[in-house]
Amino acid sequence: MALPLRSQPRARPSAPLPIVILAGAGAAFFIIPLIGLLLRTPWTSAWNELGSPEVLTALRLSLLASFSATAIALVLGVPLAWTFARLTFPGRSVLRALTVLPMVLPPVVGGVALLLAFGRRGLLGGWLATTFGIHLPFTTAGAILAETFVAMPFLVITVEAGLRSMDTRFEDAARTLGASRWTVLWRVTLPLVRPSLIAGAVLCWARALGEFGATITFAGNFPGRTQTMPLAVYLALETNPDAAIVLSLVLLAVSLAVLIGLRDRWLGAS
Amino acid sequence: MTLEARVRAGVGAFELDVQLAVAAGELVAVLGPNGAGKTSLLRALAGLLPLSAGRVTLDGVVLEDPVEGIRVPSERRPIGLVFQDYLLFPHLSVLENVAFGLRARGMARAAAIDEARRWLDRVGLPAEGDRRPVSLSGGQAQRVALARVLALNPALLLLDEPMAALDASTRVEFRRDLRRHLESFRGVRLLVTHDPVEAMAMADRLVVLESGRVLQSGTPADVTQHPRSRYVADLVGVNLFRGHASNDVITLAGGGSLTAAGAADGDVFAVVHPRTVALYRTRPDGTPRNVWEGQAVDLDLEGDRVRVRLDGSPSIVAEVTPAAVRELGLDRGDSVWISVKATEINVYQA
Repeated sequence: MALPLRSQPRARPSAPLPIVILAGAGAAFFIIPLIGLLLRTPWTSAWNELGSPEVLTALRLSLLASFSATAIALVLGVPLAWTFARLTFPGRSVLRALTVLPMVLPPVVGGVALLLAFGRRGLLGGWLATTFGIHLPFTTAGAILAETFVAMPFLVITVEAGLRSMDTRFEDAARTLGASRWTVLWRVTLPLVRPSLIAGAVLCWARALGEFGATITFAGNFPGRTQTMPLAVYLALETNPDAAIVLSLVLLAVSLAVLIGLRDRWLGAS
Repeated sequence: MTLEARVRAGVGAFELDVQLAVAAGELVAVLGPNGAGKTSLLRALAGLLPLSAGRVTLDGVVLEDPVEGIRVPSERRPIGLVFQDYLLFPHLSVLENVAFGLRARGMARAAAIDEARRWLDRVGLPAEGDRRPVSLSGGQAQRVALARVLALNPALLLLDEPMAALDASTRVEFRRDLRRHLESFRGVRLLVTHDPVEAMAMADRLVVLESGRVLQSGTPADVTQHPRSRYVADLVGVNLFRGHASNDVITLAGGGSLTAAGAADGDVFAVVHPRTVALYRTRPDGTPRNVWEGQAVDLDLEGDRVRVRLDGSPSIVAEVTPAAVRELGLDRGDSVWISVKATEINVYQA
């Protein structure tokens, strides 16, 4: 019987020197900024900075906005992912490309586009304001909208991949057992793609938490209303560098936690 | 209760065209090689694969008829389908798996759980309800899958290769078990398999399927005695020839001819059992009507017999004793004389 390739003993490949040097430089490129951040952290006053009202306000707003954005992304993104994975209709690939576009679009451009759609003189903005009295730009709701716009594609593509790779015969089995399509979705499909749902939601949330460009363009930078953590970090860098560093450290810790939480998915079991 | 089905359906380039009738209490096995369309047939009956033409009726109720525009969706057909690898829901406990269909059909949770527990008892797994399907052995998973389907009291029970996922060593035991569970079921039973032993052991009637078409159907005895396809002949281990008979002489489709006692006129099948094929070093004298020369291309020891595959006109398989092989000094590539008595050829209408 043939052994899996990996377990066959083989000579360790020796790397050409230029590769080693360039790879080392590449790794250092990632590591040095992190070391810089850690070295410059004012550890003694860090706790005080964290407890300052500005930081707490930004933190609270960031959590509220990022979790709201994730919730909206789940409600709208999961049906979208299901549609892309299971249905074929004309224009499907075009529509799919458009919904994934925010992943590669410069966030500032996304913010401008949102302004043109939901701004006071935008495509829908005027109508929303006169009919429902809803004003989105420069409000917390606007910050949530901007984060959702940028972060939802991560959820959509992750869940879509999960739906595509699942064994759809489980759905067949459920149907022959008398389950309606709705029951199949809730009791079989979604539980089976749970890992993808979780991974997609976490990715989406992390992206929303870090959102800067679209938020500042569409929602502005009002402390307590639209000034989320990344915005606070950027502004604090000029007025209170220590606060900026501490805030950065908090965001770094969150990112690390996400990475560790999803390590089985990305880092493999190597 | 009866199933009457004429199924025409396409899966990609593959075309399924099957006519089938199964009465209540009858266990019919659809037998065929991999890729014959067995699973597609079950999926079509269960409503998972739409018909392009045909009609499926169960107890007089039309389940599907494309011409009349009738198509009862899977979830509303009184059909239970046991999938080849059982497809127990991995995120639910064994008990919840069995209760799934009852819940989906509107039974209250507590009642469904009670009923599921009774079914687990009945299939001999009273203590396994809280386990996850992944922790079950193949035989246990099979019984859970059966309980999950039987709990819904379907009018038609479809089983897709129920033994394929089991170890060869446990198959005999579980086949007996499965037969017992199937005997207590009153509806129409249709089993699909590529394992002839399983088909013969379980079924009242066989339907042989190949390339999406029914080649033959009948009782297991009838099918094995009168194979009508190379597939069945190989399964049974006999030589099957097809040809045109005229005055006791059958001109074979693959070249050569055979003389058989009392062969009817017309297109016929001729079956020659390998044990009745005799081999000689020199041209034999005497009465055999069929004598021709061939070349041994393969010798296989099977039990206390040697199967010799011979190229010639026609090609044929002979079964002789190892002693005979020694006496003949027979080896691969040797030329030998082949003879078959006219009375040993079983001829029937094609």
